[in-house]
Amino acid sequence: MSGWWFIGSLGEALFFAGFFLLGVFLSTTLIAWQLMSPSTQLIRIGYGFWLFLGVCLSFVVIGTVGFWYRVLKVVTSDEHREVLAHRGIVPEPMIRKTKSILPPTVPELGLYTDSPGARLAFRLPSQIPENGALLAMGVFAMAWNAMIAVFLVIAVENMLRSRIPYYLLLVLIPGVYVAVRSAQLFFRSFVRTLGIGSTTVEIEDLPLVPGSDYGVEVVQYGRLVIKKMTVRLVCEEESTYHFGTDVRTERETVFSQVIATHGRDRIDWGYPLRLECRCTIPRDAMHSFQSMHNAIHWKIIVDGEANRWPSYSRSFPVVVYPQSRTSRSTVAS
Amino acid sequence: MIRLLGLQPTYNPGDPIDFEYRVVHVDHGAIVAVEASVVWVTEGKGSEDLGVHFFQRLTGNSLAAIDWSIAQKVQCPLPLSPLSYEGKLLKISWCVRVRFYFSDGTELMAQQPFYLGSLTREV
Repeated sequence: MSGWWFIGSLGEALFFAGFFLLGVFLSTTLIAWQLMSPSTQLIRIGYGFWLFLGVCLSFVVIGTVGFWYRVLKVVTSDEHREVLAHRGIVPEPMIRKTKSILPPTVPELGLYTDSPGARLAFRLPSQIPENGALLAMGVFAMAWNAMIAVFLVIAVENMLRSRIPYYLLLVLIPGVYVAVRSAQLFFRSFVRTLGIGSTTVEIEDLPLVPGSDYGVEVVQYGRLVIKKMTVRLVCEEESTYHFGTDVRTERETVFSQVIATHGRDRIDWGYPLRLECRCTIPRDAMHSFQSMHNAIHWKIIVDGEANRWPSYSRSFPVVVYPQSRTSRSTVAS
Repeated sequence: MIRLLGLQPTYNPGDPIDFEYRVVHVDHGAIVAVEASVVWVTEGKGSEDLGVHFFQRLTGNSLAAIDWSIAQKVQCPLPLSPLSYEGKLLKISWCVRVRFYFSDGTELMAQQPFYLGSLTREV
């Protein structure tokens, strides 16, 4: 991964966004001209017209696919391919013995064990709320800009025929502002995601059992100066209830233990920060629990403070099984 | 009346639970159905969840054959989870519950709580 990856990713996303907008502009211009001013049409309907329209629409498709491919690639991180490439050398996890005796009301392990780690047995799935917000913002910005582009073409087309569409212009002025602001917000979030880079957490075994300790490796990618990084093991209760017509969810942290901290450090492309630590599940800890309206979640949370970037917190859920004679014997084996 | 047959109302996951129940001062002929169950319930801030681990319903001939002068014994193995838990937002409680349904439409319910596991606080 070269040092230009940051600029490259941003540039590619901008390029495909531009490609998309160009396609929308051209295809809208062509269709609008054909419908509104058939006497002065640029291209008569025929082979050339359909070819030009096909090219314009291909711009839209290529722009959309390219843009989202680049964005999603950043959001889901490139390292996932590296992990899959190392599947063969990953130590065999102790899952088969425990899977057959899955305790009731404990979340399924499948979601947590389907991604093997590069150094330890499992790479934990991440819950990063910013990614969802980034995707939502991207979808909105793209849809809004496409709509404004269409209106803009109609307005320009009217003005070229010496007719000033006042009502359309009144709509367009705030519309263009929203389009610019939404694109600006999206790219700002995108740059932030690119800059901070992805965080991965690997663990040596799943499920976790109270009273046992486990090796954990946290890897922070990106290009930034970390001021402080903290890794915590957290247990959180979650309750969902009806309040009038609303459905509300309340969360309460009932256990939080710092398992690793790291001070000021510089991270660069190709030189990620690796933190190796161990976490111990307390002997009298409650296991993971999931019912219709209530849950007890265990997770590893990585909190980071970096220069020039806002603080971030990334959550990696784990599953804790109840300590029973069976699980004790499984761990012992 | 329900009586747990263990020495303590605390059980380890996977252990069998033995209990007995009987009903007195009612017309035994008026009983149309009896349900015995081992359940866990959640209490606290969230909406209540209920999980039925063991359920037995007696009606008709099986009910007629019961001699109510002696207690009815039930045994079932307990599951590995959920363990009894007393947290900040939620509490998970286990109990044995028996319901008697009478021919006049009334219902009599009794329950006996017990503890599964050895957790006493949120962690």
